[in-house]
Amino acid sequence: MLNTASLSLDQAPPISIPFRFFLTAPLFGLVAGLLLLVYGPTLFLTRWAPMTLGLTHLITLGMLAMVMCGALLQMLPVLAGSPVPAVVMVGRLCHLLITVGAGLLVSSFITGSGIANALSLSLLGAGVFLFFIAVAVALLRVKQVTHTVTAMRLAVIAFLFTLVLGLLLGSGVLSKVGFGHIAPLVDVHLGWGVLGWIGLLLIGISYQVVPMFQVTPEYPMLMRRFLAPVLFMALVVWTLLMLAAIFSLIGDFIPTLWMFLVLPGFMLYAVVTLRLQQQRKRRIPDITMKFWRIGMFSILFSSAVWIIGNVSTVVANSPQYHLLLGVGLIAGAGVSVVNGMLYKIVPFLSWFHLQNRQLSLMCMTVQVPNMKEFISDKAARYQYNVYVASLFLLFAAVTKPEWFAHMAGLVFLLSNIMLFRNLVIAMSRYYTTNQALLSYAVDSDK
Amino acid sequence: MEKRLDVSMLEPCEPLERTLEAVQQLSSGDFLHVMHRREPHLLYPLLEKSGFVWHCVEERSDQYAIYIWRESDQVAGKEATSHFSK
Repeated sequence: MLNTASLSLDQAPPISIPFRFFLTAPLFGLVAGLLLLVYGPTLFLTRWAPMTLGLTHLITLGMLAMVMCGALLQMLPVLAGSPVPAVVMVGRLCHLLITVGAGLLVSSFITGSGIANALSLSLLGAGVFLFFIAVAVALLRVKQVTHTVTAMRLAVIAFLFTLVLGLLLGSGVLSKVGFGHIAPLVDVHLGWGVLGWIGLLLIGISYQVVPMFQVTPEYPMLMRRFLAPVLFMALVVWTLLMLAAIFSLIGDFIPTLWMFLVLPGFMLYAVVTLRLQQQRKRRIPDITMKFWRIGMFSILFSSAVWIIGNVSTVVANSPQYHLLLGVGLIAGAGVSVVNGMLYKIVPFLSWFHLQNRQLSLMCMTVQVPNMKEFISDKAARYQYNVYVASLFLLFAAVTKPEWFAHMAGLVFLLSNIMLFRNLVIAMSRYYTTNQALLSYAVDSDK
Repeated sequence: MEKRLDVSMLEPCEPLERTLEAVQQLSSGDFLHVMHRREPHLLYPLLEKSGFVWHCVEERSDQYAIYIWRESDQVAGKEATSHFSK
């Protein structure tokens, strides 16, 4: 529930703060597409190939974390009634550090440069840690702790875990202190990043945005109350079991068995979301909902792939297994939902900031565009179609890389160019109208 | 006089847009009764900036009634108050 206390845009950062995060994301997507277009099949050989790791981080850090950080800085005052301290400085610095850090990390994976690696870890460490501290202060100050706030708190802790593990893995510290088995720790890093940070934040945000923007019934109360905390605790237990397995205290199969208990939580979330979308009160076509539906089906698909991979050793030993999971979770679930949300957040923020300014100035001569005028349905639909094509090609590239990988890259590149263009159009409409309102204010002061 | 506006089936930001349009058209003595599925917290600062006052009644967890009238319109204020005090 939105917080009533002193809810106002005066608490929120200037719109340029979230906009810079949102505009950067498709640029990283564009680079990811370019990488796929140029190197094609070599990216689909194994999940451990440095270039594949680079591509993964282009998307997880450059696209997903970028949008999620920008959205959290903007939405915390609105969704939780608690502004982020020094948000302008924090927003600018985090954006700069994460953007440059992610860029350098990817280049270090591709070139093997030690300097780029060290620099990227320092910048990403500083950027994510600063983000964590600022957002943690805001989340701790929340007076009315809703289920969304609880999930947000757990998600940002998961983000910190992901960072710390990433730093330990990237710096090579773990192998120096005697960790022979790095692979299971990479899985823990991945687990906290994908299931903890992205998964828990998605679940928490869904409680608000699915009923609000997609006009559906509310999520069941029991689910809102327990799902995110139970999943977080389950991830903590899974991590301890993984560590115990690494030190041969228990069998390797025990953390896997435990994961069989965790996974149904995410599947339940996807099924309930799809069910709520079916019960929509107003059945008009909605692009964001279509993106979300793909995201939810991808969660179910990836869960099925994981289950099959852990039942059949033939599947588990195939290099395609992990790549299929990666495409399903990171692109299918993560990118779909983030791309869809941008089509709601950017027009909504633009409209709301302008409406607020218009009423403050009592200026009725300047027309504020309505939400649908910032990004046309047609433009969003075209981009959606191209995105879906790129996703199918990515899945196809896992099985036949030499046939589909280059094409997947080209279409993914095109999808991100279209997304970037749509966002730029929305933002330029915002700035044009804002400029007209500011000119009105200057004229009326004369 | 009561003017009614049902925005409960609309997605953001249509409820805000329609409510802001409707309040601008209120005549002297009129108040607006908005029916919404959520409490529209984002509407309140916008109403205050436009010189309106509001009162929200939670009828059910998914049904809210918001009464809005001009701050300067005492007749509308009294009529709205008697309406939601029933």
